Amino acid sequence: MKRPLLALITLVCCGLVAAQTGDKQPSVIMAPVSNVQLHADGSADLALDFRIDPEFHINSNKPKADYLIPTVLTLNPSEPVMVADIKYPTGEDMSFAFSPNEKLSVYSGDFSINLVLKAPVNAAAGTYLVSGKLRFQACDRSACYPPRSIPVQFQVAVIKK
Amino acid sequence: MQRNVVVFVTLVVVIMGMLTAGNYLDRRRKHGPIKLVGDVRNVPAPDFELSALDGRKVKLSDFRGQAVLLNFWATWCPPCKIEMPWFADLQKQYGKDGLVVLGVAMDDTDSAKIAEFAHEAGVNYPILLGTDRVSDDYGDVRSLPTTFYIDRKGIIVAKVVGLLDREEIEDDARKALGNYKSDGAPASRAAAGGKTGQAEAGAE
Repeated sequence: MKRPLLALITLVCCGLVAAQTGDKQPSVIMAPVSNVQLHADGSADLALDFRIDPEFHINSNKPKADYLIPTVLTLNPSEPVMVADIKYPTGEDMSFAFSPNEKLSVYSGDFSINLVLKAPVNAAAGTYLVSGKLRFQACDRSACYPPRSIPVQFQVAVIKK
Repeated sequence: MQRNVVVFVTLVVVIMGMLTAGNYLDRRRKHGPIKLVGDVRNVPAPDFELSALDGRKVKLSDFRGQAVLLNFWATWCPPCKIEMPWFADLQKQYGKDGLVVLGVAMDDTDSAKIAEFAHEAGVNYPILLGTDRVSDDYGDVRSLPTTFYIDRKGIIVAKVVGLLDREEIEDDARKALGNYKSDGAPASRAAAGGKTGQAEAGAE
């Protein structure tokens, strides 16, 4: 009986604290990545899954105008792991109500970025960290928010053949 | 157990208070008190001095006696780009009546790119280079576009966050000029925070 009460109080208090820290800001979160295995002299496909707050969208990797800020994933793998390819999803077309002819290419809801990881033949077995960031610029149905980055991090287990 | 709940709630309240006070004191230490929060209508617009694209310094108080449409925007903001030609039209139409449009660019990019973007958008009014200070003074402007309509005495008559249609923008500009026959619509938008713009999504 007391535990649900405590949980409720905690939730309410967290909400109040969040309300104190400013107005709403768009957020993008990455799903945890687990069990990435890569053979020496081999390659592995990996999908990084992201979720955007429901009321927001972000530019795709290929927005339709030069002035827009694309979503870009930057990764810094620890040797011997290499990121051989980053494949972004195709954006969804949208336009603002007062300018229906100007199309934007955006991601909304859930989207995945697909990676191809590689390791050389002489790669030593072990667990290696790949870290980096996802940079994006978000808008809602009438306003836009400054570009932001979120950290991206996962581990890759290299296995000897 | 009841004592534990009381202790827990007290702790959370104390932490909330410390967070709020910390946030406030940090901002106050950096820039002085935050001037514009909540409903900003009938509040004096904070004065500022910003650099224009041509290098000259521009103060809001330079325009006392004129109505000012103060538009915060950025080059990466599609709805801002939609509004800019409308503001240019309003500057042409109401400039002789005393309306001054001022754009405040909140970009990190260099001023040459801002100037090129403004030129392509048909801007015919001064573009000023925004700072964190002016953003904080106007209530921590993060959502763009955000537009303040300021009357001839320097009092804010409306604040609009997000994209509206041209007629609604013109209504607010006329209200700042003092020749607006109010039907109540702009005032209710400002009180609601102004987020009334819309976008359409659909497949190509």
